[in-house]
Amino acid sequence: MTEEDPGPLLRLFGLTGGRARPQGEAFDLVAIVVTVSGSYEPAELIPEHRAVLSLCRRPTPVADVAAHLELPLNITRVILGDLRREGLINIERPGPVAQTIDERIYREVLHGLRSL
Amino acid sequence: MDYAASEPGTTAVASALAIKILIAGGFGVGKTTMVGTISEIRPLHTEELLSERGVGVDDTAGVESKTTTTVALDFGRITIRDGLWLYLFGTPGQDRFWFMWDELAVGALGAVVLADTRRLKDCFPAVDYFEQRGVPFVVAVNCFDGARRYDPAKVRRALALKENIPVVLCDVRRRDSVRDVLTTLVTYAVKGV
Repeated sequence: MTEEDPGPLLRLFGLTGGRARPQGEAFDLVAIVVTVSGSYEPAELIPEHRAVLSLCRRPTPVADVAAHLELPLNITRVILGDLRREGLINIERPGPVAQTIDERIYREVLHGLRSL
Repeated sequence: MDYAASEPGTTAVASALAIKILIAGGFGVGKTTMVGTISEIRPLHTEELLSERGVGVDDTAGVESKTTTTVALDFGRITIRDGLWLYLFGTPGQDRFWFMWDELAVGALGAVVLADTRRLKDCFPAVDYFEQRGVPFVVAVNCFDGARRYDPAKVRRALALKENIPVVLCDVRRRDSVRDVLTTLVTYAVKGV
């Protein structure tokens, strides 16, 4: 019972108000996060929120956001869920693979791989 | 591309696509090496907080719980162009993290099952998993130093794979070799050949 220091965990959940699940619709690891431009940025945003808004001015997958924040994925998801609820970011649900990867994208991917 | 110019609430994101590919296989078979060999970034490492029971902690009671643990998730990225990426996720090796595969597998283009012929049975669970869920996969036999080269047909028989599932030999330390495996997977997943 004593081998683990609960400090880091408590700090992490402090970022999310103790929540481990994001608000609203679930989103995928590679769902694309993009900052809503021109939205009013509340003054009380925590640094993690600001970091997301800055990073996602360019569309960024959820997993990348977690890596940049150096936070666990589900903590990152709670943060993203909050920002989405505030209307500060959009999170696009990836479409079915078969429909999103058309001939053009397939060829682009093959070409990209071959030129590595 | 100037995404900042888009109107609030519009789906400027529609032009961006991250394609998910899983790298599976037994412990120590070379999954992390494979991701590192081909990734344009040092494999990023994130962690998933979870409870031992395999479900997310739903309330603050979980915070005090000593059953909370973390599982590392390594992933790499290949940028095809601005707004089009391949993401490679190494699947957690330990059995107790199987449930995480469900999330990883949803929407994945396909998977590479890495096999070590010295411990071929280690990749049985991954093969079963992807077969059951209909996730396209290829089997890549990692040819370690000193390991004699195996006949892919024998590996296919040992794994009882359908004829159309590609079995290829590779060296996960070599970029061109990993690239060929991914090319095979993408073609198989999209074209079925």
